[in-house]
Amino acid sequence: GVFSHLEMLEAQAHEADRKQEEKKQQEEKLTSLKERVEELRIQRDRLQAKVDLQKKRQSGKEGVVSGAAELSAGAVLEWKIRSVKGMLQLFYLTGISGKLTKQGVCFSISTAYESTYLDSYHLDLLTKPAVRIHRHSVPVFIPLEQIAKRYLQTDIRRFLSILSDHLNAYAGRKYQADQLQERFSDQLEGSLQRNSLCNLLAFNYKVPSGGKTFPFSARLIYRDICCSLPTEVMVSCTVKAPAHLEETAAAHSELFRHMALHKAFCTFSSTEEKVD
Amino acid sequence: MDETVAEYIRRTVLKIPRDEIKSMLQKWGFLSEAQLQTINFHQIKDNISQEVVHLCEENSADIKQAAVLDIIYNHIYANKRMWSVYQMQKTAGEEPEIFDLQTFKKKFKRLLLSALENVTINFREYEDNAIWIRVAWGTPYTKPNQYKPSYVVYHSQTPYVFISASVLKSNLPLLCQALLVASNYHDIREMELRSHSLNSLKDIVFKKKQYCISSQLSSCFFSSFFSAVDVRIIQENRSEKERIQRVTREIFGDGPQPQLEFAQYKLETMFKSDPKMEVLDKKEPFRCLVKFSSPHLLESLRSLAPAGMADAPLSPLLTCITQKARNNFKIKEKKSSFPESCVSP
Repeated sequence: GVFSHLEMLEAQAHEADRKQEEKKQQEEKLTSLKERVEELRIQRDRLQAKVDLQKKRQSGKEGVVSGAAELSAGAVLEWKIRSVKGMLQLFYLTGISGKLTKQGVCFSISTAYESTYLDSYHLDLLTKPAVRIHRHSVPVFIPLEQIAKRYLQTDIRRFLSILSDHLNAYAGRKYQADQLQERFSDQLEGSLQRNSLCNLLAFNYKVPSGGKTFPFSARLIYRDICCSLPTEVMVSCTVKAPAHLEETAAAHSELFRHMALHKAFCTFSSTEEKVD
Repeated sequence: MDETVAEYIRRTVLKIPRDEIKSMLQKWGFLSEAQLQTINFHQIKDNISQEVVHLCEENSADIKQAAVLDIIYNHIYANKRMWSVYQMQKTAGEEPEIFDLQTFKKKFKRLLLSALENVTINFREYEDNAIWIRVAWGTPYTKPNQYKPSYVVYHSQTPYVFISASVLKSNLPLLCQALLVASNYHDIREMELRSHSLNSLKDIVFKKKQYCISSQLSSCFFSSFFSAVDVRIIQENRSEKERIQRVTREIFGDGPQPQLEFAQYKLETMFKSDPKMEVLDKKEPFRCLVKFSSPHLLESLRSLAPAGMADAPLSPLLTCITQKARNNFKIKEKKSSFPESCVSP
């Protein structure tokens, strides 16, 4: 009776205590992380200034030596390793991070779309005897070999930046298509047709107007695979519809061209509410 | 409804385990929910299939609709088939492709139908962008044999195709040609990679899960492994055990291995023996086939060294399987000063 009640109260008090402890610890952790971010930002700016300075010096130097072509292979490799090390710290906050390994460098490219973090992809590079890719987790439909062929040997920074563009754009397109399927499935008719790169989307959706719904079909083509917005959009009403719906189709087409797909659908629903 | 269609549906339903029949019929979607309610799924399968056929008759099923049920069954039980991997080549430097599924299907069908009138072709797309194609083959004089179809699994904008060919291998060239035309590639060749596990084959060629954290990071997990053992037990050869663990981890990584059932090595090397023994009077290559079989070959290879059954590191011939994406090798004599054998491409 009384004892068990007391025990229960004691347990409750312990629980509340523990939770408060946890909360305090989390808050402390958060403030310390925020401080670290500030530190790293300052460091990054400092290093960026250093790199810019060194670049200027380097380009000046190379202009003088280019005629002589006496840069030994060892010196070139040294320079490459130094520039890679510099980049490791520089790119950390831009979504590209890396660390040196026994045989080379290991890069990690994180993707994000409009403040949502998406997947990360990894690349294991060997630096001796030449820079080449050892292992990676880049999806097979991203043209990694092509990009590597053009840039890996000559300009690692550009290679990473272009690869990051491809991956971020792909992640963005995929995210939009996934969001459309998840959040607006009631407005979609049938399934969303897509492909591995998500550079072609075709779907049918319902547009309410004057109490009735009209079937529209949309086809979005993303010719620039480094871009997460389509280059061509075709929207049309699939049945013979009143003229003002043609305007709606054109308006939707413009919307899809310039706005993320799921956000465009958000605006449809909200404008409809306003009209009604 | 055609009798052959009825029989085909009956036999397809009989293949399905009894507990799964209802869910598969629902996935199929050909019979309405109301019709499915009328079937008693607790009786013996023979009777269930008869009831299903009866309902399909009400809905006048045709062979194409029946084939969809076959695709659904094979998608879930893909492990019952043996899959081979084919790689397609494209002229380099082309613009990234805008893969349009409708165009792909049209071109594929057009090529097959122009060569062979009697084929049944079905497509089904899945969430992971996998396109499943089922082709039942006939001849100019006979209707397609629905019981020996070929299956193709293709992920758009990739150069890999997974084919589970029917026994009628003569149709393979036509199938390959249709795939090339439809997907806009110009050459296709069979890779030396075969397995029952379609997902493992995908993992190997799409290089998913290949990325393993470098051994420097994983060493912290490693020490905790040893601390779980009873303190009264003294490990006499601890350093050797640690070395084996480390080497194994470096080679195989931490995650689960893709599931392969065999690795086959065709040796065409010279038999190396004491010249005095003269085992072979002719100096010709000793032809020999070595085959490693296992329900899960790579996992068993991974456990060989830690179990003390083999030296670590294992022979690179065994450890290169995932990296080279093949489980069928030809080993020829290396024509150089090194008396080692080399693996031919």
